Amino acid sequence: MRRVWAVATNTIRQALRMKVAAIFIVLLLVLLPVMGYTASGDGTLKGRLQTFISYGLSLTGLLLSLLTIIASIYSVTSDIEHRQIYTVVTKPIRRYQLILGKLLGVIVLNVALLTLFSGIIYGVVVLLPRFAGASAEERVQIDNEFFTARASLVPPQIDVSKEVRELYAKLEANDQLEAAYPRSSREEILKYLTQRLRLERRAATIGQVLIWEFKNVRPSDPNNQSLFIRFKYDVSVTPPDEQVYGSWRIGDLRGWQTGTSVDTPVWPVLRKDPVRKFREIEVPATAVAKDGYLAVGFMNPTLNNTVVLFPVDDGLEVLYKADSFLANYVRAVLLILFRLVFLACLGVMAASFLSFPVAILFCLAVFVTGAASGGIIESFGYMSRNVGLVYQYTIQAVIQLLPQFDKMNPAQFLVPARLISWGLLGRVALGLLCLRAALVLVLGLIIFSFRELAKVVI
Amino acid sequence: MDYAIETVALTKVFSDWWGRAKVYAVDDLNLQIRPNEVFGLLGPNGSGKTTTIKMLLGLLHPTRGHALILGGDGTHPKISARVGFLPEESYLYRFLNARETLDFYGRLFGLDSRTREMRTEALLEMVGLKAVASRPVGTYSKGMARRIGLAQALINDPDLLILDEPTTGLDPIGTRQIKDLIMKLAERGKTVLLCSHLLADVEDVCDRIAILYGGKVQAHGRVKDLLQKTNKRQILTSAISDGTADRIRRILQEEHADCEISSPMERLETFFINTVVEAQQQATPTSGAVSTTQIGEFLTAGARQGDILDKLVAAPVVERAEAGPVRTERPQPHEAVVPEPNKDLLAKLTRSASSSKVEPVGPGRTQPAVPTPETTVHQEQVRKNILDELTGKKHPDGSTVKPSEGPGEDGGHA
Repeated sequence: MRRVWAVATNTIRQALRMKVAAIFIVLLLVLLPVMGYTASGDGTLKGRLQTFISYGLSLTGLLLSLLTIIASIYSVTSDIEHRQIYTVVTKPIRRYQLILGKLLGVIVLNVALLTLFSGIIYGVVVLLPRFAGASAEERVQIDNEFFTARASLVPPQIDVSKEVRELYAKLEANDQLEAAYPRSSREEILKYLTQRLRLERRAATIGQVLIWEFKNVRPSDPNNQSLFIRFKYDVSVTPPDEQVYGSWRIGDLRGWQTGTSVDTPVWPVLRKDPVRKFREIEVPATAVAKDGYLAVGFMNPTLNNTVVLFPVDDGLEVLYKADSFLANYVRAVLLILFRLVFLACLGVMAASFLSFPVAILFCLAVFVTGAASGGIIESFGYMSRNVGLVYQYTIQAVIQLLPQFDKMNPAQFLVPARLISWGLLGRVALGLLCLRAALVLVLGLIIFSFRELAKVVI
Repeated sequence: MDYAIETVALTKVFSDWWGRAKVYAVDDLNLQIRPNEVFGLLGPNGSGKTTTIKMLLGLLHPTRGHALILGGDGTHPKISARVGFLPEESYLYRFLNARETLDFYGRLFGLDSRTREMRTEALLEMVGLKAVASRPVGTYSKGMARRIGLAQALINDPDLLILDEPTTGLDPIGTRQIKDLIMKLAERGKTVLLCSHLLADVEDVCDRIAILYGGKVQAHGRVKDLLQKTNKRQILTSAISDGTADRIRRILQEEHADCEISSPMERLETFFINTVVEAQQQATPTSGAVSTTQIGEFLTAGARQGDILDKLVAAPVVERAEAGPVRTERPQPHEAVVPEPNKDLLAKLTRSASSSKVEPVGPGRTQPAVPTPETTVHQEQVRKNILDELTGKKHPDGSTVKPSEGPGEDGGHA
């Protein structure tokens, strides 16, 4: 361990003195405060905070990711390239200890820099309302909608498989499949039908009512807390001002169905909101029934002249305060750290058998692919159905092994003040660190332990 | 017999991209190097010397055969803890300074901080880089880099020293110092594998040599045996008159022996060193003749290496009143980097930093300490004893002591 630490401190020295890290550090130290000053968002204080934290954390994450890739690869390849490795591995240190030392150095450097920069971002975010001269109203708003960590309730996926099968059978019986969906496989048609039927269930024609029901809603302090209904409209015909009305009822709607009175109040809301943008309705948490039941009803009022739809994936959800902003922020930073640790492992693995430029290219490819994993996995999903099973069992397995950085982007949690639960953090740690990073690292250690370190010189 | 280094049918074939054998860099090499031997591996460029060393140390994998160091695998930490290695060039971390460099390598050996500090300081002094120890190694000249490279090879007090071209980049005086150091280390029971194509280096220090060409041993044996011409005799005399020379020639003609009488040439190396030393003696000490190197002291005194070990056992030894032969102790003008005042300051600093050291500092070279041979011998023995205890070797007392040939510069070192 002493030897591993010796290599680690040397790696940190190298990163700092060779000015690899210095460039990134200076860049961030300049950019972060400037961004805090210039971030405007949609003009509101909340918008400013959201813009700053989103760009600040994303920039920090991106630059530290690049730094991690470069530092981890450089620390190994430069030793081989400049042959300091001759004098190091001939000392009583195992090769895996050398690699672990390099890795440890990069990780320690990352922890230090991440602590520094996330501290700066946190400081700016906390101080921004004070310097911006926020009104009392704005303060309440940002306390509720930004400086908090809200758990999210998403309505369960609607099961339409039966209807889809029936519809498919009907189309097949009438020989309409080819006409309606030319040159499509059965799976593609089924998928399309499923999407169509789901969206139909989330569409309200004029005067129609949609109801979402949630169970086990447990706000920690119902009397002093608020619920937030976060939604996004879509429309069949876009109104000239791009806004539609919505008539909402939030509370225990079971009473209405049976006609008996219930203790839980039902909150009526009528408002006008822009389409295709996220909006939130705040109601007191007392709207939740004692058994944890909550219903959200939406009626498309006759004021509108269009069908109102809620997108299947992110049309509506219910949010409530579950933790403090700071705790959530720390977990968000940990998400970044996990990503950096993975990249460091990937870097030393690549450097164990590739030269500096090739290793950089390889890691950047993995990083970019991981950052856009959603689209890539989806595109392979389409392709594999066409090409067949072989494809599915080879390429897809590799694709699934790629880390999905976009799914754990901390900004997407902090901007809507959404809770990053310990469970989520644990799952990311398990998948990214225990599985992928460990796999990559072991591979790197094995390669490095058995390769020839000297060059062929005759 | 347990060899310090043994290779059995060691072969390294470099293949091309298709896996076809292209070059036999080392071909069926069988070497046996005994403990406490200075072994020279000679050969022209590309003869497989460095490849052999790389295989010994596990930097390259042999195609066939195997190599044993100190009876084991060279990559095993237990073995490599006893080996010091100086690669063909001093591959050092450019961003570290000399002190940090030695500290780093010391930590790789798992030495505790106290030991590291002592050995680092002693080695820096030994290779004459103490004054520039806080400068990044990247700014060092080749000779200085070579010295720090040598220092890192000695930080673990190795039993076996593998030196690949140790004198490249060094001037004749530096070369001489390295050669003296190798001989001193050999006297202490170390085994040295010296790899070089500079024949003068090898001839002076090696007990046995092997000449490699094309990856094969072309000749090997004791240097004396290989070079001695048994059918010739050489008579060396003082300057004699021509008449005497004629008489000798006549006597030899009676035996029908060919005879050639001439004045022997001085070796250029000796001449060079003497010239530089004379120049330095004439120069006034304040005229800018400065020194960064104290190698001579440590090399010739024979107990300088012991000095490192002395400090380890923290034996209160009064240091360096002895003087060594002048020729190897002179400062080197071209290595001169730091002006004299700095050196004094540094000396004061280091003295105040480590109280265990009692060193004569101050006027330095202006008043060289000239000890009597008697005290020198006495101190030699004291240090040697400590050294022997540590290394577990017994040498005849005073075998390394050399009489004082002139005023040393010892008083001035820091």
